[in-house]
Amino acid sequence: MKGAALKIVSLGKTFGGKTGAVQALRDVNLEVGGAEFVTIVGPSGCGKSTLLSLVAGLEEPTTGWVEMDGMRVDGPGADRVVVFQEAALFPWLDVQANVQFGLKVAGVPRNERQARVAEFIKMVQLENFTHARIHELSGGMKQRVGLARALVLRPRVLLMDEPFAALDVQIREEMQVVVQDLWLRNATTTLFVTHDVREAAVLGDRIVVLSHRPGTVSTVLTNDAPRPRTQNDPTVLEQIRKANEILKAEVTWADQHPL
Amino acid sequence: MILVAVGFLAIWEVVVRLHLFFPEEYGYLFPGPADVGAALVNLWNRAALIRSVGATLSRLAVGFMLSLVLGSILALLMVHFSTFGKGIQPYVLGLQTFPSIAWVPLSIVWFGFSEASLLFVTIIGSLFAVTVSVADALRTVPPIYLKAARNMGCDGMDLILRVTVPATLPHLISSAKVGWSFAWRSLVGAEVIFATVGLGFLVESASEAPNIAQVIAVMFVILVLGVLVDRVVFSRSQEWVSRRWGLLTAR
Repeated sequence: MKGAALKIVSLGKTFGGKTGAVQALRDVNLEVGGAEFVTIVGPSGCGKSTLLSLVAGLEEPTTGWVEMDGMRVDGPGADRVVVFQEAALFPWLDVQANVQFGLKVAGVPRNERQARVAEFIKMVQLENFTHARIHELSGGMKQRVGLARALVLRPRVLLMDEPFAALDVQIREEMQVVVQDLWLRNATTTLFVTHDVREAAVLGDRIVVLSHRPGTVSTVLTNDAPRPRTQNDPTVLEQIRKANEILKAEVTWADQHPL
Repeated sequence: MILVAVGFLAIWEVVVRLHLFFPEEYGYLFPGPADVGAALVNLWNRAALIRSVGATLSRLAVGFMLSLVLGSILALLMVHFSTFGKGIQPYVLGLQTFPSIAWVPLSIVWFGFSEASLLFVTIIGSLFAVTVSVADALRTVPPIYLKAARNMGCDGMDLILRVTVPATLPHLISSAKVGWSFAWRSLVGAEVIFATVGLGFLVESASEAPNIAQVIAVMFVILVLGVLVDRVVFSRSQEWVSRRWGLLTAR
């Protein structure tokens, strides 16, 4: 792809353990364009989260590399921010201070910092909870803070690691609307990992289906239906059907070929 | 709790009145609660108590603070440079178990019978306990916080100060508490041996008089002060942190 924001090149990861090495990922190749929303689904244990950690630079690849705008990724950076499943907010800070964290680390001047923080807190509709403490928030609200905290840094790529997996179904669907809305507004290139095929189909411009372990790209589905979408849009339903078929084949194959 | 105190005082009084431990002619060696109370009032009236408490607590404040600062710096270095940390850990652990009173002779040789000498024993008697405890506390930081912070470009000392320290604050308060109790014991111990003012000195001088009621009265003051600081300063701040972070409501 021309002008890809993010390029993943023959990426592999093997974890050395006491019981022997475990290959989590092998030869993953993927290019993500600017302002594209790519979702990644795969059977459990296929290395989805590992892939995200490698892109984030939180872990070192065993083979291959990750490129951002043509530059090789070396270690973590605020240009690739992760939204974690547990939100990972800091309980010693209130909502505002949590959102402000990355800007403070980057040394952004106070006035600009405060303006940006207010803007993003408003964007995730938490302006009435600016000074709330983290334990006072619901699961969905925590993830909104997590989103605001990541987006306020204006990352080149937003990395989302099963961010809504721990939420109730209703809240999860609500959050899918929030994410699409934020994406439409900010046009942030997004890599979204989930084990929920429906979620992947609703959110993704492209849906990358990973194989069983060691994970590699099995199939890429595209969906250019207009947004915001819901799980009942015909194109989304079609993608869900296709993705499920591929996943089923992957799981069947894995069952017949135990590691 | 109050019942225990009342019962204890009653048994004490009975034991003293019946001369169970000492024959009657040596009764002054084992005064009853009333005598101790009177000694306490006497000390208070002579302003000796306030002066001693003031002297001991101000030494303690300085010694404890220095030991907290030095111990925390050492602990940060141990956690940050893990090879260094692993290398010196056994020595720090060993020194932690070393009785602080055994530092006193060396301290007297080096610093004489001085305030510096008392301060040295206070610091050296608590420094290693603080170091071990703070290092342990810092290591309890949940990895997910570090991951999230590194991910936002935070690293090195910045990461420790912005994330590790606040994330482990409840543990760090416990460390301060441990350090305080080590400093308190070291100081009062050293005072008993060679101070010329302070609670330890007050105990020691009374025993030479001999004024056993005063000995016990001052021991009682030492006990109450220790409990008071523990309850008021440390337990309160721990509660405050827990409530603020939702650690109490979450469970």
